[in-house]
Amino acid sequence: MSMTDENDDLFDSVLMADDRFRIEGYREGFEEGTRRGMIEGHNHGMIHGAKLSSEVSFYYGFAMTWKYLLQKNTHGKARKRLKAVEVLGDLIQKFPHEPQHENLQEDVERIRAKFRQVCSLLNVPMNFCDYVHGSGSQDF
Amino acid sequence: MKDALDLLQRFSGHPDSRCWYVAWDPEGALLASCGGDRAVRIWGKEGESWVCKSALSDGHQRTVRKVAWSPCGTYLASASFDATTCIWKKKEDDFECLTVLEGHENEVKCVAWAPSGSQLATCSRDKSVWIWEVDEEDEYECVSVVNAHTQDVKHVVWHPTRELLASASYDNNVCIYKEEDDDWERRATLEGHTSTVWSLAFDPSGQRLASCSDDRTVKIWKESGPHEGDASDAWKCVCTLSGFHGRTIYDISWCRLTGAMVTACGDDGIRVFKEEVTSDPDQPLFSMSVHVAKAHSQDVNCVAWNPKEPGLLASCSDDGEIAIWSYKSEDV
Repeated sequence: MSMTDENDDLFDSVLMADDRFRIEGYREGFEEGTRRGMIEGHNHGMIHGAKLSSEVSFYYGFAMTWKYLLQKNTHGKARKRLKAVEVLGDLIQKFPHEPQHENLQEDVERIRAKFRQVCSLLNVPMNFCDYVHGSGSQDF
Repeated sequence: MKDALDLLQRFSGHPDSRCWYVAWDPEGALLASCGGDRAVRIWGKEGESWVCKSALSDGHQRTVRKVAWSPCGTYLASASFDATTCIWKKKEDDFECLTVLEGHENEVKCVAWAPSGSQLATCSRDKSVWIWEVDEEDEYECVSVVNAHTQDVKHVVWHPTRELLASASYDNNVCIYKEEDDDWERRATLEGHTSTVWSLAFDPSGQRLASCSDDRTVKIWKESGPHEGDASDAWKCVCTLSGFHGRTIYDISWCRLTGAMVTACGDDGIRVFKEEVTSDPDQPLFSMSVHVAKAHSQDVNCVAWNPKEPGLLASCSDDGEIAIWSYKSEDV
């Protein structure tokens, strides 16, 4: 190795230090960011998953209770109502539990729509704001 | 141009307020109007002038956005920003509120009666479309709620002969619905407009649907039938009318008697379009037959062809006025 080459290496390492540290710093920062992002995303998902779950579970409890109450009634009107309540129950039973499910949003919207129709049929005011998603609030 | 749109009469329908919508009764003798003053008024012709026959004023707490007559002409439905829809029944010359349909979370934007008279559709800013059924005892029951749009739903219209419903929205799309196992489902989404779709109108045969939008165009859609292996129906845009309108197009009406199409525009103008007789059904051509530039002093909100008298047109505007026009064409 000649003298000039060594000098070049020396100069290179000094001149490129900026670049090298930048790359190293980026990598470390990226890893740290990924770790923190995972935790944040996990918490976010837990909160929203729980919210959605409690909303859908609320509908299910509502549907099952009304199904029980309407079953004894044989009037034409009651039969129609019972049918709508049963459809709501079926929709929820078919509701997927994996968050990756591609039609999740669509299925949630269908359940919400059915719930609103059931409330209208049963003459139940829709004031369950602790459980129910309104159109005004943000989608998840 | 030999075609003309002549003003027959102009009167203040909703003074110091906006007049949002006008609707002819099925006999074409009465005109219902609604406005920002929360009132619904019924107009009829006496001699040569149009006079207010009755006023339906205690039904709503806020703006009345649209009104619709039942096919039999006995009932009138009014949709309001107070989140309710009122059903009024005609008794001799007066109207009484029969029932109030509740359920929408906020502003009801439109109401439409199915040709059978036994179903009613409403839509709202809450993004949903509701279908109601009427029984013999005048009782209304919600048969379906559909959340197909992602924004405010502006308009609903029924197919003239089939059990098919179309809706237009602030999400720039038009949706088509059909009944499936006691429930109404979206069968097609018509994408193409680049801004809010304000209104819809089927052609006299029901084969085509016209939509008008904030993007200043009118689009004509035609059903191309369900494709094999595809559960949804296909509608394609066969014609786009652009370059005619200077501002938002708020309403469109397709005449059952003459086939003429008329638009209400935010540039205060009314334009009538005619279809070229020779045009291919899959590539229809429309030409502007008449343009009245200052039809009103402010935005034109609604245009409606009379169902019985060919060429008779009603329009209304933000200036609170209602105008009655006579359209004459060399072909009509």
